[in-house]
Amino acid sequence: MIGEFIHTVVSMTVPILLAALGGLFTDLSGILNIGLEGMMLSSCFFSVLAADMTGSVVVGVLSGIAISTAFAGITAFLGIKLRANIFVAGLATNLMSAGLTVFLSSTLLGSKGTVTFTSFEPLGRLQIPLLNDLPLLGRALSGYNILEYLAFALVIITYFVVFKTPYGYHLQTVGKNPETARSVGISVEKHIVLSFLLSGVFCGLAGAVLSLPMRVFVGGMSSGRGWIALVAVVLGRGNPLGVLVASLIFGAASALSNLLQAVTNLSADLLLTIPFFVTLTSMVVYAMRKQVRHD
Amino acid sequence: MWFRKSIPPLMSLVISLLLGLLVITLTSSSPLEAARAFFLGSFSNSYFFGNMLASAVPLILTGLAAAVSFSSSAFNLGLEGQLYFGTLIGTYIAYKLGNFGSWTIVVILGAAFISGGSVAAVSGYLKSKWNVNELISSLLISYSLVYIVNFFLAGPFTDPLAGLAASPYVSEKLMFSKLMLPSSLHSGLLLAIAVSVVIYLIFSRHTWGYELRITGRSQFFASYGGIDVRKTWITAMFLSGGLAALGGMIDVLGIHGRMIKGFSYGYGWNGIAVALIARNNPLLVIPSALFFSYLESGAQVGALMSDITPEVARVIQASVFYLVTAEGLAFFLKKRRRAKTA
Repeated sequence: MIGEFIHTVVSMTVPILLAALGGLFTDLSGILNIGLEGMMLSSCFFSVLAADMTGSVVVGVLSGIAISTAFAGITAFLGIKLRANIFVAGLATNLMSAGLTVFLSSTLLGSKGTVTFTSFEPLGRLQIPLLNDLPLLGRALSGYNILEYLAFALVIITYFVVFKTPYGYHLQTVGKNPETARSVGISVEKHIVLSFLLSGVFCGLAGAVLSLPMRVFVGGMSSGRGWIALVAVVLGRGNPLGVLVASLIFGAASALSNLLQAVTNLSADLLLTIPFFVTLTSMVVYAMRKQVRHD
Repeated sequence: MWFRKSIPPLMSLVISLLLGLLVITLTSSSPLEAARAFFLGSFSNSYFFGNMLASAVPLILTGLAAAVSFSSSAFNLGLEGQLYFGTLIGTYIAYKLGNFGSWTIVVILGAAFISGGSVAAVSGYLKSKWNVNELISSLLISYSLVYIVNFFLAGPFTDPLAGLAASPYVSEKLMFSKLMLPSSLHSGLLLAIAVSVVIYLIFSRHTWGYELRITGRSQFFASYGGIDVRKTWITAMFLSGGLAALGGMIDVLGIHGRMIKGFSYGYGWNGIAVALIARNNPLLVIPSALFFSYLESGAQVGALMSDITPEVARVIQASVFYLVTAEGLAFFLKKRRRAKTA
């Protein structure tokens, strides 16, 4: 029972975590990417569509990454090259993704509602031999799909990239002090664009991990996870481990909402607000504590 | 010179219409008919034309709502939820008050305004007090409000006979009068235009409008000049949320007669685009909202008369959004041309 709940927490955490790790890169470059939600949603649609057309999950994941990265590129291009307000460009990305996916779903698949895909094998659950047999914890540690394991590996990889590589140092300098970065010959614009493209890759994975295991698409299925991920970025304060902790809290809130929907007869509509309340409260508490530290 | 500044927006509109033409050509089996229905259908009879004008009404108000918050440099992204929540409260009061005569309309609109404004003001307060990012907080609150309102529409405040999640009908007497039957155009349009003028006057003539705009340009300059920046943000968010809620309430009292789940889908987001095209000018919000309702209505007529899906409007609207963000677009194209000739 406990093991099962932890399993759900982890599964609910992963899409938020992946999107937040992506958002972390743009945050380090000094800009919040508010297009995470839309990029994720576009990948939900394109990954499941491509997997269905080709019969290959790998092609599906890659297509999801491709579309999400393309949206990230457009957002960054507008913000950097065309001098658009980058928040507004991110909003446009969210809107375009929501419109485009429903439009294509309606045109190509003939449905604006939930579409189920069947012509590819769903992502298998990997049972890890010894861990799987542990009492209680077996279910909590094993039986996830490959993308879910990858998400946690990416936390560690991101940590090393940010804190142990020249690229990471450059990126942090760009975000903290662009003038210094320029004076030592680091291109601020290039780093911002690159960080956006990276956020695209991560959001592509986040979208794929939402739609591929269930093999369904429905309009707006990212349902605010991109925004919650954005808060995880803010609370993570530039550290992938911080982002992980914040994502776990929000994943737990979503899992709690799911659990209560299953075992109580409280209104699903009301229970669905739990993740948003938890996210909002964490953000306010964080801001209050920050204020106190500054005073 | 406002018209010089508005050349890039106009260019964006033309490009987006061409994009629309392209999408229609690609997806329709009879592109000519579909394009004609999309571009001209709204003007073909008074029914379509009146409906197009009616659907501009909520967009004018959400456009104003966005313009007010953006002008003060507070990013209100919660328009959807503020509108939805304010409309629920207003509709409930309208339903309860029933037959008390036409003065009740003021109470109803006021209640919607205050409810929508209050939830937006929470984000303004959090920004002023603890520097909580208002863009994210307003959005998270908005998401929750949509679920909460849906709960009421499906349960405590539902019409059991409706067959869908919707409130009971409000009294017929409370409805705005129809202006162009059989279309749904109603006198709420005049109210929306009047509100635009009032906001324009506040922006251009009133001290508070001045303080709002100075705060938007530079909060440091504003506070140096003795303006209470924090209070300005809270009031701006309140006004913004209130205007959005007014848009939803007028839509209910003008067209639906009751609150239907999801009736306002997209009003908030499109209002932001409307304000961007209008460059936050309250008077230009009106033509800008009309352009958006023209796209919406064209897609509806096109779907009726040919084989395109009404969702085509959402793609075109989003491309308008992209294009108007690119303030440097004209500059960028010019520079490239110069680079080529050089």
